[in-house]
Amino acid sequence: MPARDFVAPVVAFVVLVAVIVGGAAAVPFVSGGESTDVTNLADRQTDIDAVTVSEAEAEGTITMDSDAESKTVLIDQAHANQVSDKKLSTLTNTLVENGHEVEYVTQEQARGPAWNESLRSADAFLIANPNQPYTSGQLAGVQAFADAGGRVVMLSDPASIQRFGIFGFGLQQQSNDDPALNSEFGISAQSGYLFNMNDYQQTFKSVYAAPGDGPLSAGVDRVVVRDAAAVSVADGQTALRAGEQTRLSTTRRADTYGVAVQSGNVSMVGDTDFLTPETAYVADNNVFIGNLADFLVSGEKTENAPAPPSEGSSGPGGPSEPTRPTPEPVV
Amino acid sequence: MNKDTSEASARTIFVVAVVAAVLVSAILAPVAYDAAQSAQSEGTVSVITVSGIITGSTVDGVSEDLREARTNESIRAVVLKVDSGGGLVAPSERLYLEVLRTSEQMPVVASVQGIGASGAYYGMLPADEIYVLSSSEVGSVGVIGPGGSTPVPDSIIRTGPDKAQPTAEDRRRAIESLKRQFVGRVVEHRGEELSVSREEVAYAKTYLGPEAASNGYADGVGALPTAIDRAAEMAGIENYDVARQEPPFRGGFFLLTAENNNKTMVYKQGPGIDTPVPVTQPLLVDEIPDHDPELSTDDSEVTRNASA
Repeated sequence: MPARDFVAPVVAFVVLVAVIVGGAAAVPFVSGGESTDVTNLADRQTDIDAVTVSEAEAEGTITMDSDAESKTVLIDQAHANQVSDKKLSTLTNTLVENGHEVEYVTQEQARGPAWNESLRSADAFLIANPNQPYTSGQLAGVQAFADAGGRVVMLSDPASIQRFGIFGFGLQQQSNDDPALNSEFGISAQSGYLFNMNDYQQTFKSVYAAPGDGPLSAGVDRVVVRDAAAVSVADGQTALRAGEQTRLSTTRRADTYGVAVQSGNVSMVGDTDFLTPETAYVADNNVFIGNLADFLVSGEKTENAPAPPSEGSSGPGGPSEPTRPTPEPVV
Repeated sequence: MNKDTSEASARTIFVVAVVAAVLVSAILAPVAYDAAQSAQSEGTVSVITVSGIITGSTVDGVSEDLREARTNESIRAVVLKVDSGGGLVAPSERLYLEVLRTSEQMPVVASVQGIGASGAYYGMLPADEIYVLSSSEVGSVGVIGPGGSTPVPDSIIRTGPDKAQPTAEDRRRAIESLKRQFVGRVVEHRGEELSVSREEVAYAKTYLGPEAASNGYADGVGALPTAIDRAAEMAGIENYDVARQEPPFRGGFFLLTAENNNKTMVYKQGPGIDTPVPVTQPLLVDEIPDHDPELSTDDSEVTRNASA
């Protein structure tokens, strides 16, 4: 077949391709392409002021007003206490910086007669989030300690109260005949945590507490507690009350819940997070921590209390039920 | 003889022609039927599926389908077929924005199958109407995320104290900010229908279908066909085609919790992740099942997983 016979088809092919491809390329120039105006919906739908959560102002110092001579504050570490040294450091550092002594009672020092011996050497006793029950002998020793003028501070988070109640006894059990100290001092706690959906600091569980009565609330305008239990006292003072519209997680009821209470030489705070270094200087937490330190060292405990046993006596509170399997008397 | 052969051949050819005609017709008839139906169709309702945990890749696929709906002139309305308990925060917001962009152009109706909660509810907020089943669950308007500060080992060199180590306060502020954004958008889009207050929305409760239809979280009880018909009605089309966009299977990941050193940790595990990895970012999920991933309670193990 002669080559010229291919000319016409090839020309037709090239022309068609050129027209079709060129036409396709020209369409966007004619129609303006597919680009459309894009509305910035993310910006339009965001109210920056409404969603900005400001940083908590943390300022001030923790100071003590008490001019008491050097006192010894004993901290319980014998009952699987779930509180870190870091958390307690704001309080313990304050005590040490003001000339007081901080000691810890270990499991060894909580056995039998060693328990009351430890208490005898102290002027105040701090218990935070115990995770093991106290024996009746140990409770009797603390009772005698407080009766003799020793200061006792209990700090308990909702989780600790829920699982172990106050002093390691379940809340349900405490309503029975267990020799728990809360019934002796008229202090009680409710299971569940406090929250406030209207007025809170950063999250709904970080509720504000306003001052109530007693020395623990002196100079306090408001305190921030991050995860607090509701505590109350039958015959004493409510030092801190959670703000209006604060509710309890278990009942969802709004009430004026107590966060810190005092009954004579004993006080209880339903939170430990206010002590953390990150929260200790928020709002008036520093003032409250200072007040708590003052409370611990302001007692006038009778010498040699809890008293050692006289011959034939088993000591205050009678015979004990030790934490260890081997029965040992408490003196 | 020749005459008989010729007649037989003619009959055979006739039969073959008839059979061929039937076969060709069988192939062409549906095409012709569809063509005739399409000729009567006034448009297409695109049914786009949103299912499983909402992740970046999930939203990539849905966004592509929504973009196609916006640019294809034959698509007149979109129905979101939702069955998800939520997922990651940023993808959920991306889904919300893509649905919003689409709803400003054409009717969008959401049809909740089993669950449309948290991030999934966030995504369907701009829909013109939300339909639920009696057994559907919607709501859970809230954010969940890790609260503590994970220590960074000394072997890691950082340029500043906040690098790769947000403080507990940073996390609280971030989660609260995300919550405000979420609740604010619920009130913005559903405010006129809601019979519950902003405070109640922030409780992050999940509602069953009938209650959701009653309190304004949804517009009514209805199955997918109802939602499709409603979307077409809103688009003003009586005769319509339905195009279903199913997501490709990508194999989602699982979220689970475990107690570790007395702290509740959230872990994720999925394709490409051999061992559970701690989730360090806030999530928009309705529920994280308790699970023991058999992780070591040793701090170093947790740290290793956190940096994996």
